[in-house]
Amino acid sequence: MADSSGKTLMDLITSDPSSTIPSSAAPTTASSTAPPPQTTSSSVGAPVPMVVDKKTKKGTLMQIQSDTISAAKAALNPVRANIMPQKQKQKKRPVSYAQLARSIHELAASSDQKSSQKQLIHHVFPKLAVYNSVDPSLAPSLLMLDQQCEDRTVLRYVYYYLARILSDTGSQGLSPGGGIPTPNWDALADIDAVGGVTRADVVPRIVDRLTSEALNADVEFHPRRLQALKALTYAPSSSSEILSKVYEIVFGILDKVADPEKRKKGIFGAKGGDKESIIRSNLQYAALSALRRLPLDPGNPAFLHRAVQGVSFADSVAVRHSLEILSELATSDPYAVAMALGKAVQPGGALHDVLHLHDVLARVALARLCHTISRARSLDDRPDIRSQFGSVLYQLLLDPSERVCFEAILCVLGKLDNAERTEERAAGWYRLTREILKLPEAPSVKETKSESKDAPASKNSKDKSSKTRRPQPLIKLVMRRLESSFRSFSRPVLHAAARVVHEMGKSRAAAFAVGLQDIDEGVHINSFSESSDSYDQDQDETSEGLRRVSSVANGTSGKDTIAGLLASLMEVVRTTVACECVYVRAMVIKALIWMQSPNESFGELESIIGSELSDPSWPATLLNDILLTLHARFKATPGMAVTLLEIARIFATKVPGKIDADVLQLLWKTCLVGAGPDGKHTALEAVTIVLDLPPPQPGSMYEPTSIDTVSASDPKSALALQRLVQAAVWFLGENANYAASEYAWESATPPGTALMMLDADKMVAAASSRNPTLAGALTRLQRCAFSGSWEVRIIAAQALTTMAIRSGEPYRLQIYEFLHTLEKGGLQSQLADMHVSNGEDQGASGTGLGSLISPMLKVLDEMYGAQDELIKEMRNHDNAKKEWTDEELKKLYETHERLLDLVSLFCYVPRAKYLPLGPTSAKLIDIYRTRHNISATAGLSDPAVATGISDLLYETAKPTPAEPDTLDDDLVNAWAANLGDDGLLGNNAPAMSRVNEFLFGAGTDAPDVEDENTTSRPSMSYDDLWAKSLLETTEMEEDARSSGSSSPDSIGSVETSISSHFGGMNYPSLFSSKPSTYGSSLSAERAGGSRFSIPSFGGNSHDGFNSPIREEPPPYSSPSHQRYESFVNPLAGPGSQSFGSQDDEQFSSKNPQYGTALYDFTAGGDDELNLTAGEEVEIEDEVDGWFYVKKKRPGRDGKMAGLVPVLYVSQS
Amino acid sequence: MLLAVLVANSEGNILVERFNGVPAEERLHWRSFLVKLGADNLKGVKNEELLVASHKSVYIVYTVLGDVSIFVVGKDEYDELALSEAIFVITSAVKDVCGKVPTERLFLDKYGKICLCLDEIVWKGLLENTDKDRIKRLVRLKPPTEF
Repeated sequence: MADSSGKTLMDLITSDPSSTIPSSAAPTTASSTAPPPQTTSSSVGAPVPMVVDKKTKKGTLMQIQSDTISAAKAALNPVRANIMPQKQKQKKRPVSYAQLARSIHELAASSDQKSSQKQLIHHVFPKLAVYNSVDPSLAPSLLMLDQQCEDRTVLRYVYYYLARILSDTGSQGLSPGGGIPTPNWDALADIDAVGGVTRADVVPRIVDRLTSEALNADVEFHPRRLQALKALTYAPSSSSEILSKVYEIVFGILDKVADPEKRKKGIFGAKGGDKESIIRSNLQYAALSALRRLPLDPGNPAFLHRAVQGVSFADSVAVRHSLEILSELATSDPYAVAMALGKAVQPGGALHDVLHLHDVLARVALARLCHTISRARSLDDRPDIRSQFGSVLYQLLLDPSERVCFEAILCVLGKLDNAERTEERAAGWYRLTREILKLPEAPSVKETKSESKDAPASKNSKDKSSKTRRPQPLIKLVMRRLESSFRSFSRPVLHAAARVVHEMGKSRAAAFAVGLQDIDEGVHINSFSESSDSYDQDQDETSEGLRRVSSVANGTSGKDTIAGLLASLMEVVRTTVACECVYVRAMVIKALIWMQSPNESFGELESIIGSELSDPSWPATLLNDILLTLHARFKATPGMAVTLLEIARIFATKVPGKIDADVLQLLWKTCLVGAGPDGKHTALEAVTIVLDLPPPQPGSMYEPTSIDTVSASDPKSALALQRLVQAAVWFLGENANYAASEYAWESATPPGTALMMLDADKMVAAASSRNPTLAGALTRLQRCAFSGSWEVRIIAAQALTTMAIRSGEPYRLQIYEFLHTLEKGGLQSQLADMHVSNGEDQGASGTGLGSLISPMLKVLDEMYGAQDELIKEMRNHDNAKKEWTDEELKKLYETHERLLDLVSLFCYVPRAKYLPLGPTSAKLIDIYRTRHNISATAGLSDPAVATGISDLLYETAKPTPAEPDTLDDDLVNAWAANLGDDGLLGNNAPAMSRVNEFLFGAGTDAPDVEDENTTSRPSMSYDDLWAKSLLETTEMEEDARSSGSSSPDSIGSVETSISSHFGGMNYPSLFSSKPSTYGSSLSAERAGGSRFSIPSFGGNSHDGFNSPIREEPPPYSSPSHQRYESFVNPLAGPGSQSFGSQDDEQFSSKNPQYGTALYDFTAGGDDELNLTAGEEVEIEDEVDGWFYVKKKRPGRDGKMAGLVPVLYVSQS
Repeated sequence: MLLAVLVANSEGNILVERFNGVPAEERLHWRSFLVKLGADNLKGVKNEELLVASHKSVYIVYTVLGDVSIFVVGKDEYDELALSEAIFVITSAVKDVCGKVPTERLFLDKYGKICLCLDEIVWKGLLENTDKDRIKRLVRLKPPTEF
């Protein structure tokens, strides 16, 4: 019997499509799974349903529906005779959902018979569990069973299914149950106007039934009562009616059983005890478990009251739930909770009993509770209470369970939730390093101990831990514990230990940031320790728990020990890098990054990361996570900008293909801003070092790895590196002026000087002597404009223009001259030695940039022309000694505005200060403005205004002082940080939100599978993994678009985002069309982006690193949409055209293409496929120069399908 | 929150899944992520040896038990260690129900029972019962503590 059931179930769930599925199986399973949209991708059993058109789908829908409904009707009508013989037949055949439903109805009617019960238990119910939701029309039968059946197992299943019907709230009938997808029953019922049963119909009946059971006080009934209560908690909490009913039941039960007067002495004595007390305890458990699942109402004192009672319940699970409820309540009202707990926290109280409770999660909840209360500000005037809770927390540090101990350490460190507060963290580090743990009593459970506990020297504990009883510094204890955890073989323990060290590093960084090293006694951070100190002095004899012993804290010896302890811990941490699990290693690296202090050498860290990155098994998401850690580290300690940039550089060179260029850029930018005036040059150098890398050599992977060699052996990562270089070039152009503090509008050079320095050599010499940073950047960009690939050259030219516009003389002139020659192409022979041919046709103009550069040059030309004009005019006026007329001023002003508009098209400049006509025009423009009451900032004609970015730009620009010549630092910083947003607002937003999300510890979003070939499939799919993925590639893209928004980005994102950074697609409109169209063409993109921009970002970056961007995360769908668009672009853009622009359609259509491998190809990543020359493959798809191919039989590595470069395969 | 419990067979087909507080549109991603994780790492792993992964602030602990691999995903208080605890409870319940380390066939034979056990172990995204005997009793509709 069991065998036959197993057989059919196997048929249902087995993955092997070749197994003998009786012919009837395919249609039935297909029919039951056809309706929900995702089923098409699961394609159960045979690929038949893939082609099911809408009509047949609807047909099957109707089929199921009529099946179930007729069955329901049958059940609802008790007169109807039951049809036993049918059941016998079913035994042989695999069962469809409709059949299952029918048999439930039938068997329910005959549930008093043993055979039907057996049938239900062994066949029907287990099979029904396979489906992810339960048809509401089954409810009547289930309720009938509930009423009539006596069999416990049947009843247990009944409760299970009733709960599932109640909980079935997901859209499209998707309950969290998983399993074979089922149709949306309600929708089905709606189709059939006559007799459909919807959830709305049955839920009240189920609730009524369960309620009455939950209220049944019969002793024999109480197990069912518990299950009924449990099932009730699954009712949707949105229905206030049901909710209040459940509350009523729960509190009703607690009223009866929770009051402690009759409680037995032996609190943990669940073993013995009389029946009555056990039933009480069971009911207590059930009620508290249910209460825990219901929404908490902090305002209702009943919750607090019952939870406090629950702490002393006999059932450990109940205790856990009450502690969890309490710790949740404590976050909102610690005072009330502390007061309510009253005696429980005192020695011998219920909370101390929890310390020895055999329930890890209960102790974890206790740690959280104690932490919250001991840190509560509202208890400032009750230091005694706080220290009592604190002492319980410290005792948890000795807990045998790592989970509890680590939680306690994290609590001590000031990490409770994701809200990071620097002061709290710093205080945490202070606590950890300075406090002394003095243990009050042996962790023995003996009640008698509570009397003798006051004697500090109670040595009568039997366990071995008595040796460690003497007071010891917290840090020592923690370090020892961590070190021993690092010796564990269990990966979760290693991971957790590394995470604790990571958090420790955070707290330490915060302590450094606050300057806690020699802490002032008056600072509020210290207030707790102070008060506990005084408390200790008062009650020195009786006090247990901690005492702050300042003698250890101050004095060099104390510091040395901490340093020593840390050093030995870090040694252990470093060795953990040898763990084979990348996730553990990632956590270790994060911990190392956090523990890295700014003034230590980071050579070791660098080499660890360098060698780690050579390991190809690192998934991209993890690497990006580490990049984000760098970001967070920087926010905590801005002084480490240069170090962090160095580390980031390793990422850029080692794994260009795996990291998200958005995040990297953001890191560059924030580091640059944060590096401060002294570090700016170094920071920029660190970024641009990417540009100085030699082009990747094929096979460089096999050379001895040093961090300066590029590991881009395969075309894909070479491409990614290329894009990274583009990003760097763009970054350089955008930020060089900031880094060099060179701005046209505050240039010290007198206007005439530049014109006299027309000799190029002299000019360069003068420039570099005056500002080496800018000169260095210029040189790099000039080199890129020549020697990069065409994409890089374009961006370099753009970057140069930006710099030309923003810089004063002589730089502008220098760039102008350079661009001029570049356009003419005549420089090529001159600079032939500089030029490294990359095999591309340079085009008629030598660099291929002529058409691009000419509009840029035109702007500069116009500026110079207008400047000449102005000087001429001024001379004329001076010579003639006449005033400027309003007419003339107006003309001047118009020219000024027109040039501003033009300039604004290329890059952002502060309109109020920027003087395209040179510094001399300032006075005249000012005169005109005051005369005509034109506000300098109200540049409404600015295209930036029209496109909506100016909102945020002007927000920071407005409060600047009026005098234009003293530009204050804040503005410059804010501006420079914001200015990036000008160009890449829309694209940067996702990175920004990712960073913020990371910083705030958010992130439950589903991960994206890095390997785009792995399908995400609904459960129960029968298909071969690859075969299906091939069929569905287009659908997968749809999925990614609709739901992958905030998922971590895979490799794809590098391709997706970066190209549009530089307006890759916008070049044509930027340079060939009228300015007005350019503005409007971008407007959509920018308007979309500005929503996610962070106006306060730049402003904050200096003064408050712990309070950055409090922006709401972007709406769920928008960024994905945007990303998706930018994902499309590179495919449509010139990138794919350069591959000869294969016709994409031919591959996505059904008939497959075949090809032969021309060369051997070694897979460079998980998604790639090894090829042997001559191998025949089936080409499924082409993406961006890669074929997705399938082999006839698996290769040596067992892979059947994957990506190979287009050029490696000849199509037959 | 225990975000997900997922059981897959060795081919990566999902046998059981329980999501809690995961939006429907993200489940697909989690599924494929976990399956891939298993496919990449579970080869040659001993029964019940725990493996760990993390994604943002979400932790994943997974293991292999006979023919099936079990994944649990959690966040906040359900960190890697708490998940280890949870997965231990689950594996021992499965072993208990199946009588030994399960083959895929055995697992499917006991499918209904396993679902009931899971129902007692994870209740609305929170770990509930951890004691083996207690789970056994509750699945048979007996009181959690017997008199």
